[in-house]
Amino acid sequence: MGGNDKRKRSESEGGDEQPMEKKREILPSMIKNKEKRSAIHAKLKQQKKLEKRKKAKARDAAEKRALELGEELPAKKIPKTIENTREFDETVCKPDDEELFAGNDADEFSSILKRERTPKILITTCRFHSSRGPDLIKELLSVIPNAHYYKRGTYDLKKIVEFANKKDFTSIIVVHTNRREPDAFVIIGLPTGPTAHFKLSNLVLRKDIKNHGNPTSHEPELVLNNFTTRLGHRIGRSIQSLFPQEPNFPGRRVVTFHNQRDFIFFRHHRYIFEAKETKQTESKGKKTKDAKGESEPQGKVIARLQECGPRFTLKLLSLQHGTFDTKGGEYEWVHKPEMDTSRRRFFL
Amino acid sequence: MPRTTTLDCPGCPPLRALTFDELGLIKVIEARGKQGRAEPKVVERWGDPDSSKCVLAASIDDRKSDPLLAVARRNGMVEVLNPLNGDLRFAVSNASINGVQSEDDPVAGLHLFAKKKSELASRSCTLLTCTTNGNASIRSFEVNKPAADVASTGSSRTWIVGGGGSILCSKVDGSENYFLFGGKRVEMNVWDLDSCAKIWTAKPPPKNSLGIFTPTWFTSATFLSKDDHRKFVAGTNSHEVRLYDISAQRRPVISFDFRETAIKSVAEDLDGYTIYVGNGSGDLASFDIRTGKLLGCFLGKCSGSIRSIARHPEFPVIASCGLDSYLRLWNVKTRQLLSAVHLKQHLTNVLFDSNFADEEAEIAHSAADWPLHEERDEGETPPLKRKKSKEKKGIKKEAEAKSGNKDDERDEPLHEDERDESETPPVKRKKSKEKKGIKKEAEAKSGNKESSEEYGGKKVKSKKSSKRLEM
Repeated sequence: MGGNDKRKRSESEGGDEQPMEKKREILPSMIKNKEKRSAIHAKLKQQKKLEKRKKAKARDAAEKRALELGEELPAKKIPKTIENTREFDETVCKPDDEELFAGNDADEFSSILKRERTPKILITTCRFHSSRGPDLIKELLSVIPNAHYYKRGTYDLKKIVEFANKKDFTSIIVVHTNRREPDAFVIIGLPTGPTAHFKLSNLVLRKDIKNHGNPTSHEPELVLNNFTTRLGHRIGRSIQSLFPQEPNFPGRRVVTFHNQRDFIFFRHHRYIFEAKETKQTESKGKKTKDAKGESEPQGKVIARLQECGPRFTLKLLSLQHGTFDTKGGEYEWVHKPEMDTSRRRFFL
Repeated sequence: MPRTTTLDCPGCPPLRALTFDELGLIKVIEARGKQGRAEPKVVERWGDPDSSKCVLAASIDDRKSDPLLAVARRNGMVEVLNPLNGDLRFAVSNASINGVQSEDDPVAGLHLFAKKKSELASRSCTLLTCTTNGNASIRSFEVNKPAADVASTGSSRTWIVGGGGSILCSKVDGSENYFLFGGKRVEMNVWDLDSCAKIWTAKPPPKNSLGIFTPTWFTSATFLSKDDHRKFVAGTNSHEVRLYDISAQRRPVISFDFRETAIKSVAEDLDGYTIYVGNGSGDLASFDIRTGKLLGCFLGKCSGSIRSIARHPEFPVIASCGLDSYLRLWNVKTRQLLSAVHLKQHLTNVLFDSNFADEEAEIAHSAADWPLHEERDEGETPPLKRKKSKEKKGIKKEAEAKSGNKDDERDEPLHEDERDESETPPVKRKKSKEKKGIKKEAEAKSGNKESSEEYGGKKVKSKKSSKRLEM
């Protein structure tokens, strides 16, 4: 009943508005009649589409003309993305900052990164874990060299930290599982190092990756992307201290931590450099063969990647000063909801 | 790291602050400018980065002539500097007196006496140091022109204050006769400095209703006012803030919780009842200690543990610093962030140099009206507003209560509540609701009761199912 009344009213209003529309611009969202609104919206959209097409055509034409005349091509426009319009951040590390390097020399990881200590990692879990948790740990053990898995048992994490300190471990990784799905990741630096607490999501295990490779036991190379701010720098260093500092290059194994919009993407690849084998190069190659003989290497070399090992995403929740201590701990950085007031503000 | 855009920071009055960090650097931050809209900047940096020189404690004696600054470092050295230009006056090793390795026994508290023996000779200064293991000492030094030459003048006293625990905080009161400390497994103690005798010890609060005893672990302490040594405030690791009154009892007079992480710093206001509390996850708030009520939080995307809070002696400004390596200046009255300076290192301490305005004569003029201005503009208006709204609400509530009592109906007060919360739209809403109500009633009368009920039931069910899915 009420609905009918409303419809009648809105229709009458729509009727009133139609002449108004001719007078002045009215946004489609201001129109109450749905049919009218959608019709007008569609019309506007069509117009926009046409305009866009026109613009693209003009741009292409200008490019073509420039090519024909041999002029310089018009500058390509850089699309605005969230990353390149991020809020100004004064904590972004600058390469000429001497205090940064002094701070690096003084921090907890410098002894590992200067190769005075070799990284030795203890991997453990939360108290109850099953299903994908053990699988992830199995794969982490194959990713991180010199990593040792210890059963959690019913020990407190603080006790485990003590134990690991005695056994000269340099880091502890705790994989936390909730409802048989790994959902958090804690990296504790030892003996005094900071504790980073991450949220873990989008976990894909090795067996679920199509055409996955099997990693060798060589020391991997490490790629850390986009850790720009002071906090990011610190997180990057804590991740760096998990891996041996001397990669074994013949192993052709790469572990990547790629930071994008505060999400850290973990990937593990094997790569290979191959001569390109397209038909064109072959024909060219034949020509060169004729001219110069076999010894000349082919011009183009491409890198091929094969993904192996788990794939997951981390998001930093907090960075704690000192080892794991939830009660009396001091935080260097905690994610607070009031920080999320802008989509263009990033912390790493 | 949290950041602040320059737009929403109104700037601060002319002031000069010194910050100390974990690399042993001392940075001077000055805000110069007119009309209290100055942008603070790092002016000077003293010392070279060296992690063994990490500053543990600092104390300033900012008298007008010949001010001094004492800094205790991790390598056991106590340095006395000139806070105006950073010249090293002299440095003494703390270990030489105590005979203990300084690396194992870092300094926990340091105080540079301002009044004592100032009349004796202007070239002498007295230092109180207290180490983590509980070795306290008072030493006075002759300040000679060559920095290397240090003469310790007779009156050096050393005594042991701690028993078993580690001392984390210590403070000397305004008259500089009493000395206060506490720490992990060390209850709060008050000592008389003249006789070097303990005059008071706190007693831990009793077990709670579950029979659980929270172990003693004080992390910060401060005297409530300059003239009174009997009242002090202490923050604990179990996120409790306690007020002790020596003259009243050995247990805390008032204690209240603040958030969920350990209290890391406590500072007092000049008025003698407001305190500022900073904790391990970067929350800063002011409390009225007379009632233990929260006055308000200082909001500014602050995310690192707050290690130190300092109150400016003249302007209504406090400075906070900590592990997020920002020095933040806040307005006390409006609790607004005035400005933030990124200092690149984990900061351990912040101090104000109160003589700065005097040095800059032309700034002093503009500075003089600043606090007054402040009070007029921002200090008084917001509370008034709040009060009004509260009063209004209160009146309304009373009215509601009365009406509720009279009518004995629960629906009407509820409606009134809705009206109160949003003052303009309710007219429409009310009408529509009434309409709906009428319609429903009509429906009910016309015999659609069951159908409508069924509909309602279904709705509820669907809601539940959707909730389950969400979970």
